[in-house]
Amino acid sequence: EALIDEITDKMERDLILLGATAVEDKLQNGVPECIDKLAQAGIKIWVLTGDKMETAINIGFASSLLRQEMKQIIINLETPHIKSLEKSGIKDEIELASRESVVKQIEEGRALLAASGASSEAFALIIDGKSLTYALEDEIKKTFLDLATGCASVICCRSSPKQKALVTRLVKSGTGKTTLAIGDGANDVGMLQEADIGVGISGVEGMQAVMSSDIAIAQFRYLERLLLVHGHWCYSRISSMICYFFYKNITFGVTIFLYEAYTSFSAQPAYNDWFLSLFNVFFSSLPVIALGVFDQDVSARFCYKFPLLYQEGVQNILFSWKRIIGWMFNGFISALAIFFLCKESLKHQLFDPNGKTAGWEVLGGTMYTCIVWVVNLQMALSISYFTWIQHIVIWGSIALWYIFLMIYGAMSPSFSTDAYMVFLEALAPAPSYWLTTLFVMIFALIPYFIYKSVQMRFFPVYHQMIQWIRYEGHSNDPEFVEMVRQRSIRPTTVGYTARRAASVRREDRFYDQFHNDLVAF
Amino acid sequence: MMEVEGSNTSMNRSPQSSFVRSKALYQFKQQKLPACKPVLTPTSVITVFMLMGFVFIPIGFVTLRASRDAIEIVDRYDVECIPEEYRTNKLSYITDSSILKNCTRYLKVQKFMKAPIFIYYQLDNYYQNHRRYVKSRSDQQLLHGQEYSHTSACEPEESSNGLPIVPCGLIAWSMFNDTFTFTRESAKLKVSRSNIAWKSDREHKFGKDVYPFNFQNGSLIGGAKLDPKVPLSDQEDFIVWMRAAALLSFRKLYGRIEEDLEPGNVVVVNLMNNYNTYSFSGQKKLILSTSSWLGGRNDFLGITYLVVGASSIIISIIFMLLHLKNPRPYGDNSWNKKSLSS
Repeated sequence: EALIDEITDKMERDLILLGATAVEDKLQNGVPECIDKLAQAGIKIWVLTGDKMETAINIGFASSLLRQEMKQIIINLETPHIKSLEKSGIKDEIELASRESVVKQIEEGRALLAASGASSEAFALIIDGKSLTYALEDEIKKTFLDLATGCASVICCRSSPKQKALVTRLVKSGTGKTTLAIGDGANDVGMLQEADIGVGISGVEGMQAVMSSDIAIAQFRYLERLLLVHGHWCYSRISSMICYFFYKNITFGVTIFLYEAYTSFSAQPAYNDWFLSLFNVFFSSLPVIALGVFDQDVSARFCYKFPLLYQEGVQNILFSWKRIIGWMFNGFISALAIFFLCKESLKHQLFDPNGKTAGWEVLGGTMYTCIVWVVNLQMALSISYFTWIQHIVIWGSIALWYIFLMIYGAMSPSFSTDAYMVFLEALAPAPSYWLTTLFVMIFALIPYFIYKSVQMRFFPVYHQMIQWIRYEGHSNDPEFVEMVRQRSIRPTTVGYTARRAASVRREDRFYDQFHNDLVAF
Repeated sequence: MMEVEGSNTSMNRSPQSSFVRSKALYQFKQQKLPACKPVLTPTSVITVFMLMGFVFIPIGFVTLRASRDAIEIVDRYDVECIPEEYRTNKLSYITDSSILKNCTRYLKVQKFMKAPIFIYYQLDNYYQNHRRYVKSRSDQQLLHGQEYSHTSACEPEESSNGLPIVPCGLIAWSMFNDTFTFTRESAKLKVSRSNIAWKSDREHKFGKDVYPFNFQNGSLIGGAKLDPKVPLSDQEDFIVWMRAAALLSFRKLYGRIEEDLEPGNVVVVNLMNNYNTYSFSGQKKLILSTSSWLGGRNDFLGITYLVVGASSIIISIIFMLLHLKNPRPYGDNSWNKKSLSS
């Protein structure tokens, strides 16, 4: 060592400095914007990294997780007392002292948090790996979690992969909320597997993260689209789809049940066997699938513009019990309307000018036609996004029913038994059949139509508000948009929007102070 | 030369079409398909209700008028057609095959009834739609006769005295057997008993060479006897009866009067009160009805069209008033207030 130093000292003399180079591990593109949007959507963001504390704090500032006026609560074991103990090397003493120090720092942090109360002063917690080992112990972890959830952002530096997983588990089980972990290296695998949703970023550091994740994306900023657009769409689609499934099956089943009251509950179905089997296959399945796969209640552009839409999913607005029971009730009253209207209008009088009376097949055929119409028109009423796909499946299902009636009716009587020629011979030539169908299908939808128009006009839900904004053309009016956004009560404390808002607040305070001084003067 | 040109043109065309196709595919995969996104504005709601009102009310009037045009005479005869001495013990009267059960009814015509006038018999409290009853038939046997022997669905009316019954089953066994003859001023009215069943039944479901065999030979007589010399496809009463009714009160076509009936006419009906509905307190009625373009007399559809049409106009007016009175708030965000406490 020393000899080499001597020789380099001799050689490196009278050199001309040409320049200096540095290597910067840059943040990916779009990370600050992404974090800002996610914070506006009400998502809390923690950073678990293996870097040292200064690097982590710099990254925090670069990505707007930390702001200048945020109070930083730093928990580390760099006090001279502990350093000297470490030098001495007595394990038990080090542990005792370290634990004590960590607990004390956590308590101080919590006191600080409690003291600030409801003011908009945001706190940031920065804790390093060594302290984390003590903070994650069973007795202390609850207080640590309280402190961490009270802060606007949390940065854990120098954390080992095991600690990342433990922190994720702590948050998951301690708060009971859904956690999403995103990472790109092999050291994030534990965290990705532990979280409810693991997102792996494929690329620079290899594919280990991708292989152990639930979803793989290429860059961090795609997380924004994943959550705000696809997350919201997925939630809205699935909740609509499930509610609609219940609705259409209840509509169908309750008519059969009501008919049983007139057959002395002998289990005689109201419809031909094949009608029963094919209801959920041909005549009402494709529209629901199209709803569950393609529906967009708000377009992608607006999902970005109004990140708070994401909270609809978090707070389970669209799949509340009220909505589920409401749809079931809608199915029930539709079935009541269909059954009693068909029964009364096809009673025992002759139903066509040739003297035929309405037998079992005619009543069944009419009711089934009404059900197919009502169920499909209900779908057309409840979605607000029509591409050629939706048009084909909705109107196609209805057309398919008539085609099926004709084809099935034309098959030999040994196969089609009682549905033989029922449409062509009895139903189609009878004007009362068409009039009854028209009336029932409109009447059964009136309650929902009234409900939806009242809701849309007087009590719109958040995504319906956004539909209004788009419809009225105010989407590019920043003031309008801001006013709508401002009605959210959740204050954002992280991200550059918050930084700008905080600086505006600071300026306002300054001007107030200035004016006060002037007035005092 | 020609070949090269041909391939050139085909090469020129395919990038175009493949571009269009790949653009459509791109739109599909990126979920950016051109879409129509209707919003339920108050204007459209009011328009829809108004339209509904203005379409339904005329339809309602037309339908009601058509229903009123059809004239109906209803006469319940099962109680009064039992002679006085048997009123307390109806069952013994009806099951006694030695008593002649004829009965005379007088139907007074109030309004002009134009031919053809349809004759129906109506049965009430009769569950012809009971599952066990509906299953108790064999369609194959009706089509093919005795050759078809898998008639176990017809139990217990499958065979009697060791011989198969054609047609088998409870529906056939319980066939209606009251008969009616109509006279007006001692002249018999022309009644047509043919062409009362569905055409597809006559031609495709009941065999042309299937004859009733061993029918109603058992100890329990359920209803009518069939003429064993007439093939099933010509036994129209039987075919009409075999079509299961929907509800517990139903009518079946008996025949047609091919003459007009003037107001003031009295139609004398001589009927044979054979059918036993007394054991289950059923009711029997005789109906004479004309038909309009819509069908028979049933005011229900017309009235409901009118009522719904009128209410939809009222609803649209109410909605318009409410809409003009209250300015629209920019949405209700109270659901998000919860987040403060969390």
